[in-house]
Amino acid sequence: MSASAAYDEKLVYMANQIARNFSIHGEEKAVASTLDHIRMFWDPRMRARILDHLRAGGVGLEPTTRRALELLSLAATE
Amino acid sequence: MKLYNESDHGTPAKKATSEVKLSVDGRVVSVPAGTSVMRAAAIAGIGVPKLCATESLEAFGSCRMCLVEIEGRNGTPASCTTPAAEGMVVHTQNERLKKLRRGVMELYISDHPLDCLTCSANGDCELQDMAGAVGLREVRYGYDGENHLKAKKDESNPYFTFDPSKCIVCSRCVRACDETQGTLALTIQGRGFGSTVSASQNQSFLESECVSCGACIKACPTATLMEKSVIDIGLPEHSVITTCAYCGVGCTFKAEMRGEEVVRMVPFDDGKANQGHSCVKGRFAWGYTTHKERVLKPMIRAKVTDPWQEVSWERAITHAASEIRRLQEAHGRGAVGGITSSRCTNEETFLVQKLVRAAFGNNNVDTCARVCHSPTGYGLKTTFGTSAGTQDFESVEHADVIMVIGANPTDGHPVFASRMKRRLRAGAKLIVIDPRRIDLVRTPHVEASHHLALQPGTNVAVLTGLAHVIVSEGLANEAFIRERCDFDEYLQWAEFVKRPEYSPEAVEKVSGVPAETLRGAARLYASGGNGAIYYGLGVTEHSQGSTAVMAIANLAMATGNLGRPGVGVNPLRGQNNVQGSCDMGSFPHELVGYRHVSDAAVRAIFDKAWGVKVDPEPGLRISNMIDSALEGSFKGIYIQGEDILQSDPNTKHIAAGLGAMECVIVHDLFLNETASYAHVFLPGSTFLEKDGTFTNAERRIQLVRKVMTPRNGYADWEITQLLSNALGYPMHYAHPSEIMDEIARTTPTFTGVSFDKLDRLGSIQWPCNDRAPEGTPVMHVGSFVRGKGRFVLTEFVPTDEKTGPRFPLLLTTGRILTQYNVGAQTRRTANEVWHPEDRLEIHPFDAEERGVKDGDWVKLASRSGETTLRAQVTDRVAPGVVYTTFHHPSTQANVVTSEYADWATSCPEYKVTAVQVSPTREPAEWQTQYARMSADQRKLAEPSK
Amino acid sequence: MKLFVSGDAVARALGADELAAGLASDAASRGFTVVRPGSRGLCSAEPLVEVETAAGRVAYGPVFEEDLASLRPVLFDGGEHPKRLGKLEDHPFLKKQTRLTFERCGLSDPGSLADYRSHGGLVGLAKASEMTPSAIVEFVTQSGLRGRGGAGFPAGIKWKTTLEAPGARKFVVCNADEGDSGTFADRMLMEGDPFLLIEGMLITARAIGAGRGYIYLRSEYPDAIRVLGHALDIARAEKLLGPSFDIELRIGAGSYVCGEETALLESIEGRRGQVRAKPPLPAHHGLFGCPTAVNNVLTLAAVPYILANGAEAYARHGLGRSRGTMPIQLAGNLKNTGLFEAPFGMSLGELVHEIGGGSASGRPIRSVQVGGPLGAYFPPALFDTPFDYEAFSQRGGLIGHGGVVAFDDTVDMLKQARFAMEFCAVESCGKCTPCRIGSVRGVETIDRIAAGDRRNENLTVLTDLCETLKYGSLCALGGFVPYPVMSALEHFKEDFQSPRPAASRAAKRNP
Repeated sequence: MSASAAYDEKLVYMANQIARNFSIHGEEKAVASTLDHIRMFWDPRMRARILDHLRAGGVGLEPTTRRALELLSLAATE
Repeated sequence: MKLYNESDHGTPAKKATSEVKLSVDGRVVSVPAGTSVMRAAAIAGIGVPKLCATESLEAFGSCRMCLVEIEGRNGTPASCTTPAAEGMVVHTQNERLKKLRRGVMELYISDHPLDCLTCSANGDCELQDMAGAVGLREVRYGYDGENHLKAKKDESNPYFTFDPSKCIVCSRCVRACDETQGTLALTIQGRGFGSTVSASQNQSFLESECVSCGACIKACPTATLMEKSVIDIGLPEHSVITTCAYCGVGCTFKAEMRGEEVVRMVPFDDGKANQGHSCVKGRFAWGYTTHKERVLKPMIRAKVTDPWQEVSWERAITHAASEIRRLQEAHGRGAVGGITSSRCTNEETFLVQKLVRAAFGNNNVDTCARVCHSPTGYGLKTTFGTSAGTQDFESVEHADVIMVIGANPTDGHPVFASRMKRRLRAGAKLIVIDPRRIDLVRTPHVEASHHLALQPGTNVAVLTGLAHVIVSEGLANEAFIRERCDFDEYLQWAEFVKRPEYSPEAVEKVSGVPAETLRGAARLYASGGNGAIYYGLGVTEHSQGSTAVMAIANLAMATGNLGRPGVGVNPLRGQNNVQGSCDMGSFPHELVGYRHVSDAAVRAIFDKAWGVKVDPEPGLRISNMIDSALEGSFKGIYIQGEDILQSDPNTKHIAAGLGAMECVIVHDLFLNETASYAHVFLPGSTFLEKDGTFTNAERRIQLVRKVMTPRNGYADWEITQLLSNALGYPMHYAHPSEIMDEIARTTPTFTGVSFDKLDRLGSIQWPCNDRAPEGTPVMHVGSFVRGKGRFVLTEFVPTDEKTGPRFPLLLTTGRILTQYNVGAQTRRTANEVWHPEDRLEIHPFDAEERGVKDGDWVKLASRSGETTLRAQVTDRVAPGVVYTTFHHPSTQANVVTSEYADWATSCPEYKVTAVQVSPTREPAEWQTQYARMSADQRKLAEPSK
Repeated sequence: MKLFVSGDAVARALGADELAAGLASDAASRGFTVVRPGSRGLCSAEPLVEVETAAGRVAYGPVFEEDLASLRPVLFDGGEHPKRLGKLEDHPFLKKQTRLTFERCGLSDPGSLADYRSHGGLVGLAKASEMTPSAIVEFVTQSGLRGRGGAGFPAGIKWKTTLEAPGARKFVVCNADEGDSGTFADRMLMEGDPFLLIEGMLITARAIGAGRGYIYLRSEYPDAIRVLGHALDIARAEKLLGPSFDIELRIGAGSYVCGEETALLESIEGRRGQVRAKPPLPAHHGLFGCPTAVNNVLTLAAVPYILANGAEAYARHGLGRSRGTMPIQLAGNLKNTGLFEAPFGMSLGELVHEIGGGSASGRPIRSVQVGGPLGAYFPPALFDTPFDYEAFSQRGGLIGHGGVVAFDDTVDMLKQARFAMEFCAVESCGKCTPCRIGSVRGVETIDRIAAGDRRNENLTVLTDLCETLKYGSLCALGGFVPYPVMSALEHFKEDFQSPRPAASRAAKRNP
C-alpha cells in the first residue's frame, strides 16, 4: 500500500474510532459529538484530506462516521 | 546568599485542639498539647543539647543529652520524649545537668576517632557541636578501651559512604529509612556495645534494599553517612533553593555550592511538595549537567548523513530561521511546527508556543503530554472542567481508602509514595489496579486489601464494573450527586453501569479479575471513608485512555469523593513540568489556560498582546506532524527538550517521518536519538543554569533558580528568543519573570502569579487570582469548575490490538526508580549501576514454555517490529503478560509498540501490545542498524572553514 | 491414692525423673497414681517425694537413686527412713510462711484443671465475673497489691489507667521473663500452679477490658514452657479460654532486657528487644499501640486470692505501703534455699540467719544482695532493715523481684561490682549511650582500680559514671547499675584498696 493510501486508512481509522466511542450515546448524539470532536481537534489539512476521501467514495467509513463527515463537508462549504 | 540552615526544633510539630503554657528557663511559651519539652524550649529560643533528636523524626530518647529538670518531678527526664504540660516549670541548665551531659559526651568521645580536622564532617558535625556545647575538656577513660575505630567503610553506593567507625548509634538513619522513606532497609544489628547499623541482612548498601534516597545521610549527625561529593570537594559555602527537574513531585532542593560548583543537592525541609525528602535522582543524579557528552556548541549540517559542524550561535540561529522561512514560503505557513518540552520551565514553554503561534503563524505545537497524560486533560476537562488533578499531596494524609490505578508510585513518584506509605502504615486501606504486582502491593507494613491484576487493555471494563457494584448495591452518595452534578445525567449513567455486561462476573471473563475481588474493592472505595484515587500512565496510555479517566471521575462523583482534603482524582504527572507544559498552551488546539483556539474572545487577548492574528483552527499533534511529513505537507520542526524517536511509539514510522522533513531543529542537552535526524542542533541548558518556574502534579508553581552560568552560553528561553528575533518576530524579555507577568496578564487562572509572590510564598497552586489570591490547594470545593460535574457513559470498547497464535502475550511498560524516562539524564550518571539495561519481565510458566531462563537473551516481536533484550523470570506479572522499561535507547522498546492510540487524544497505547517472546542469540536487525547509525551520528566534522 | 514426685526443674535437675520412673511400677502395683507436682519450695529437700496416707501427706527428701532400695519397702506406708521429713507443713521453713500465692504450689497436679478446682481454684474468677470492671479494679487497689516484678507500682492504679484509656483493643501481658540471677519464684509458680496464673490473667482481662493476653516466657525455662503450655491447652479445651479471651504463649530468646516491659512489648511485636521511651505508658500505648497492662507473674498470681477472699484478707498482711505477702527467694551461700512466702516486715537478718540458716559454707555471711544483679549489697550492719519497699529504698537498696543472694566472707566485692558492670554490658539493648558505652567503660575502670592504676582518680571516674548511669539511662538496666556498684564501694571500701585484701583472700582459697 502506498504511504498516501496508508495515511487515508489511518485517518479513516481515527474517525471511526471516535464515532465508535461516542456510539453509546445513541446515533444522533454520536454523529454530533464526532463532528464536534473532529472540528475541535483535527488540523484543517487532516479535515480536508478525509473529506476528499469521503467524496472519493469514503471506503472504510462506518455509517455514523460517514454522516458526521457529511455534515462537516456541508459546514465547510458554508 | 549564605548556606541555608533550616531550624531543627528536635521533634515534630504536633497538631492539637488545645494549647499548653509552660515556662522554660523563665521564658513563658505556649505550644499545642503533645509538643515535647525540647520543641517548646526551641520555640522559646533555647536550644537544649541533642544528638538523637531531629525534627523530621519522632522522638527516640537514646542519646540522653537533652536531659532537663522539671519542678515537682524526680530525676532528669529527657526533654525530647517528655510532653509539655500546663504550668510546667523547666530548667535546662544547672550544675547537675551540666555534669550529666558532660558525662554522656565523655562516653561518646571515648569511642570516636579524633580526626576532626581531616574529617569530611569538619564544620558540619553535630557531635562536634555538642562536645563544644557541653564544654568537654577531657576523656578520662582514655582511648585504649574497647572501641569501633577499626570498623570498615562501605563505599559500595556510588553516591555516599558509610563509615561505621564514626557512628554514634543514634539510630537517626534507621528511623529516617522507616519513617521518612518507608523502605525499612536499615536496622541496628547486635545489641549493647556491639550495636551497629546494618543495611538489610548485614549487606553492603548497594546490595541491600536501600533505594539510595539519601534520607539517612541527611539525618546522620556525623560523618558516618556522607555524600562522596562532600568528601571529595569539602563543605559548601552558599545555597540556592531550587526545584528538581526529574519527576512530577517537584521536590524543593537546596543546591549547596562552592562558587559555581555544586557540592551537593539537599532536600529543603520547607519544600511544600517534599517536606525535606528526596529520591536518588534529584538527590544524587545531577552529574549529567557536567557530563562529557553534553553538547555545548551549536551545530548544523546540510544532510543527516553528513557529520555535524560546530558553528557560532549567530550562524546556527540565522540558518535555522532562514530554513523555516524558506519552507513556509515553499509549502505554506502550516508546513512547520514545534514541540515544547515537559522538562523546560513554564516561561520557556510559553515562549516556544508563542514562537509557533506568533512567529510561525500556526497552531502546530504539541508536547510530550500527548503521549502520557493528554487523556487526563480531555477526561477531566469534560467531567469537571479542569485539566488537572483536584488535590494537593497533603490530601493523602486525610485519605482512608487509597486506590492506585495504573501507576507505580514507589518507582515513578518516590517522594510522594513515601507520604502515601506513611498514611497506609497509619491504617488507611489500599486498592491496587495493575496487571503487575507493583512494590506497593506488599511492602514493609503495607499490604493492599485488594490487588486487581487485570489483563492489559481492560481498564474501562473494570472501572465500569466497579461502578456497577456501587450503584447496584446502593453505595452511591445521592446527596452529593444531587447537589453537585446533573442528576438526570447520573440516572442515565446509573442505568448504563447496571447492565449485565458490567456485572463482576461478566467483567471477570474479560479482565481476569475475580468477581469477589472487584466487589470487595468497590465496596471498600465507596464506603471506607475518604476515598482517593491516584492514577498514572497505566490508565492513559490506552486506546480508551480518555474513557478510563472519565470512568474514574464518574466513580469519584458517584461516591462524593471530591471537593475536600482526603479524596479526589489525582493524576500522577510524570515529568517535572508536564503539568506546566500543558498549562502553557502546548497543545495544538488550546491556548494558555486550556482555552480552545476557536474561542474568539480568547484569541483577541493574544492577538492584542502579541500583535498578530492567532490561527483559529487546531494544529497538528505530534503523530499528525509525522503523518503530514510523510504525506509531504510538513517540512520543518523545532523540538525543545524532547526525544520523540526514543519515546514515541512505532519508531520506524517516526524515523521515516523525521527523515521526510527538511529542517529538523533539535534543542537539547545531548545528541539524542531524534538528533540523528536533525539538521540543526542547539545546545540547551539544564535546570541548574536558568531561572524560571516548574509546575508539579499538584498544580504547584515553584521557582527554579540559577546556580551557575549556563555552560552552553544561554538559558533555553534566551535561545528561543534568539530564534524568534531571527525570524522577525521581536521578543525582548530581560528575565523570565517578565514572561510570567505576560502569562498572568493573559490568563485568568494565573492572574495572581508573579515571581515576587512566589518568592514570598514559596510556591503557588493555580488557580491564583482575585478569588484565590494565594492559590488553590483543593479544587472543586463547593462546585465544579464547569458548574455541575458531568457523568459520562463509559462503554468498554476492546482495543484492536489483539493477541493471537502468532502474538499470544501482551506487553505492557513502565518505569523504574533509578532511571528517568528515556534515560537521557540518568544514564549519564552513576545511576547506571542499578539499571544498566532494560529487562523483560516474564512469568515462569511463559518462560518455561519457551525454554527461557532468567538472564537469557530473548527476541520480543510484535506486528510492528522486533527487538532483543534479556529476560527476567518473575511472578510479578501474570501468565500471558510481559513487562519492560524503556530507559535505554539500545532496547528500542518502541520499535515494538503499536500504532493504536487513544480515540480522543491520540495518546499512544503503549500499555497493550501483542507480542511473542522467543530465545535468541543475536540482536534484532533494527537494533544493529540503529547502533551503527547512532555511532556514526556522534562523529563530528572537521572544523569548518 | 497418690504418690507425689516433684516435677519442678530443680528436682528434675537432681534426678527426679529417674526417681519417678524407678517408683512407677511399685506405685502401680499398689494402686498409687504418680503425680508430678511443682516444688514445695524447700530446695534442700529436693528431689521431694510425698506419699498420701490415712494420716495425711508424708514427705521424704532429698531422695536420690541410692535411697530407692531402702525407701521402697517403707515409702507407701509413710514409714521410718533417714530421709523421712514427715508432714512438711511442720518443717520450720514452711511453718513460718504465709502462703497466699503459693498455697497450692507443690500440692496440686499442675496438669489437671479439676485438681486445681478441688484445691479452691477459680473461686476468684467466679466472683470477678459478677463484678464490673471498675469494681474489680477498686478491689485490687484496696488490697495494696504492688507490682512484684520489681518496680512495685500499685497494680490497681495501673489497671485503672488501662481501663480508662481509649481503645477498641486492649491487652494483658504477663512478664514471665524472670531474668534476675537468684530468682525462681515465677518459674516455680508456672511449673507448680499454672492455672493460678491463667485465672489471674482472666480476672485482669475482665478488669481492663482486654480481649487477648500474652505470656512472655523466657527461653531458659523449658519446663515452665512445657507445663504452662499444657495448662493453656487444657484451659482452652475446657472453655476457660476461648474467643472472648485467649492467651498466647510467646518465648523469649535470651535477653535480660526483654524483662523490661517496653522491650518485652517490642519483642512480642517481632522487633528488636529495645527499650521504648516513656511516656507514652503501655497503659495508654502498649502492645501494637493499644492500651496494655503488663504485670509480673506473681502480681497476676496474687489476684485470684484477693478476689476470692477479699481485699482486706490480703491487705492485713504487711506494713506501711507494702501490703500482702512477698514470695521471697533465698539463694546463694545459705543452708536453706528456696521459696519463702511471708508478709512484708521480716528483717533481712531474720531471713538470712533464721530462715536461711546462715551460710552453707559455715563461714560468716559478709554481704547479701537483694533484688537481683542490679540490687544493692547490704552488709550485716544493715540486716535490721525490714523487708519493705520503702525501708529498703531509704537505705539505698531495693527489693526488686524478691531475690536474696547471700555471700560469705570469701567474696570479693570489687569483683561483684565489676560483675554488675559486665552484666549490664552483656545485657544492654544498646539504645542509650550511658548503658551501651558506660557499662563497658565501667568494667575497664574497675579493672584499672583493681590493678592499682591511678586508683583514686578512677574511683572518682567510677562514681561519676554511676551518676551518669543513674540519672541518664533510659531504663532500669543502666539506671540501677549504680546500686550494686556504689553499695559495694560504700560498704566494702576495703576491697577497692591497694593492695587488695580480697585478692589475697581469694589466693588463699585457691592456692
